[in-house]
Amino acid sequence: MPRLDDFAILFDASYCIGCRACQVGCKQWNDLPATETQNRGSYDSSYLSAHTWLKMSYHEGLDKDGEVYWDFTRTSCMHCSEAACVEACPTGAMNYRPGGVVTVDQDWCIGCRNCVQACPYDAVHFDEQKGVVQKCTFCHDRIANGLAPACVKACPTGALRFGTYGAMRRAAWERVEALKAEGYTEANVYGLKEMGGTHVIYVLLRHPSTYGLPIEPMTQRHKVAVDWLSAGIAAAALGTLGWVIARREEVSGGES
Amino acid sequence: MTGGEWGIYIVLYFWLAGFGGGAFLLALSQRDRWLQRVGAWLAFLGVVVGALLLVIDLGQPLRFWHLLASFRPVSVMWLGSAFLFLDGIALFLLLFLRQWPPLLVWAAAILTLLVVGYTGVLLTATARPFWAASPLIPWIFLASAGTTGAAVLALFGAEAGVHRAAFWLAWVEGALILLHLVWTYPSATPAVQALLSGSLAWAFWGFVAFGFGIPIWLEARKKGLWLAALLVLAGGFLLRYFVVYAGQVGYLI
Ligand code: SF4
Ligand code: SF4
Repeated sequence: MPRLDDFAILFDASYCIGCRACQVGCKQWNDLPATETQNRGSYDSSYLSAHTWLKMSYHEGLDKDGEVYWDFTRTSCMHCSEAACVEACPTGAMNYRPGGVVTVDQDWCIGCRNCVQACPYDAVHFDEQKGVVQKCTFCHDRIANGLAPACVKACPTGALRFGTYGAMRRAAWERVEALKAEGYTEANVYGLKEMGGTHVIYVLLRHPSTYGLPIEPMTQRHKVAVDWLSAGIAAAALGTLGWVIARREEVSGGES
Repeated sequence: MTGGEWGIYIVLYFWLAGFGGGAFLLALSQRDRWLQRVGAWLAFLGVVVGALLLVIDLGQPLRFWHLLASFRPVSVMWLGSAFLFLDGIALFLLLFLRQWPPLLVWAAAILTLLVVGYTGVLLTATARPFWAASPLIPWIFLASAGTTGAAVLALFGAEAGVHRAAFWLAWVEGALILLHLVWTYPSATPAVQALLSGSLAWAFWGFVAFGFGIPIWLEARKKGLWLAALLVLAGGFLLRYFVVYAGQVGYLI
């Protein structure tokens, strides 16, 4: 669980207009180069990469009353409390920093990309020139000096807010209550339980799956335990099968 | 799409560690001392060449020692490197000793099994649905280590027992792959489609025909066993190839 005085960002999808000012603010502050985009048949043309740490995703469809919706959500590092990237990292280069921030130490990272494969939010990427991974830093160079992260600063509608975890979580709950009163019965807060509680929390108008967010992602620790167990059973089952057949033939063959 | 995928070096490493380790473990079931030594050599080469490939694959190869300077057993990558390192030492000792102390043989066997097994766990413990949605990748990799390991031993003149083991493991392997595709189809549809009819179809169907169908046919007729062994080995490579790449379809490639 995040501590109440940790840093936190609140993204409120009900205020977001999809202008991508945050995406541009992130690029500018972090000195990230432009990347080629790709027309995939919608306005959603960018993707997360070593040079794009924050991207707005657009989701369109019909809700259950047949009304068209076009919703926007933030995709970037969630700064998990039980972060898959940290637990997958073999060197400790990816690690928790004070205030709940997760960053990579680029002088210690060996570029194995295990964190890239492990993150359920697709938030870490490999920089081929540098040979190490890069991701959202929570603008630690800004927040350590009392400034809000660049994305929050750039947001013109108040859809992004920055503060302590306790304050942001309270604001999220209040906002969901207000939305429910307005008739958005499915409004919910995302990120309170996911990956041990994330330091970026979302207020959503609809079920998280409509925003393409992972539902109840398993923590890395849990996955690793289950998968070693599976491998253990496999080794016992297949090993016995193969070894016994090979052995039996050899013994009987030797005797005949 | 964004680069940095686990690519050909990883595929080669999985393949070498698989057949080398499989050969060693199967050879231990045989009384033939020479064959056991051949198995140990193959496993040792798999571990050494494999470790080199892994280091080359790093974004910062010269920092590989950071792995040894850390202790992070939850990370499958870390644990795997530790197994690889220890297995290399155990196998090296075996190659040196004329008489094999049983304890050392056990240690080398268990470490080899862990090296082969962790490669599957490494893929399964990720957020990529084609690898993670079913728990079967370790099963498939272990079965394939058995079939490809038996194939190399066959090339070195192993007797009927190894052939029988390979024959039955091949059927199990085929069934596991089929089950895995069905299991992961709902959550990893683009990956499965890439295998069946898309960019990876050549590797997948190549495996089905040359790494599975033809060798089983030959083996059942006890004809062209050399050819069968070579095809199984090549098939093991295609298998690692399509598994590694399919997991990243739509994400990194
Ligand atoms: S969102 Fe991904 S990169 Fe960010 S802390 Fe969580 S697991 Fe790590
Ligand atoms: S790429 Fe770097 S940060 Fe990511 S897991 Fe490997 S060493 Fe850790």
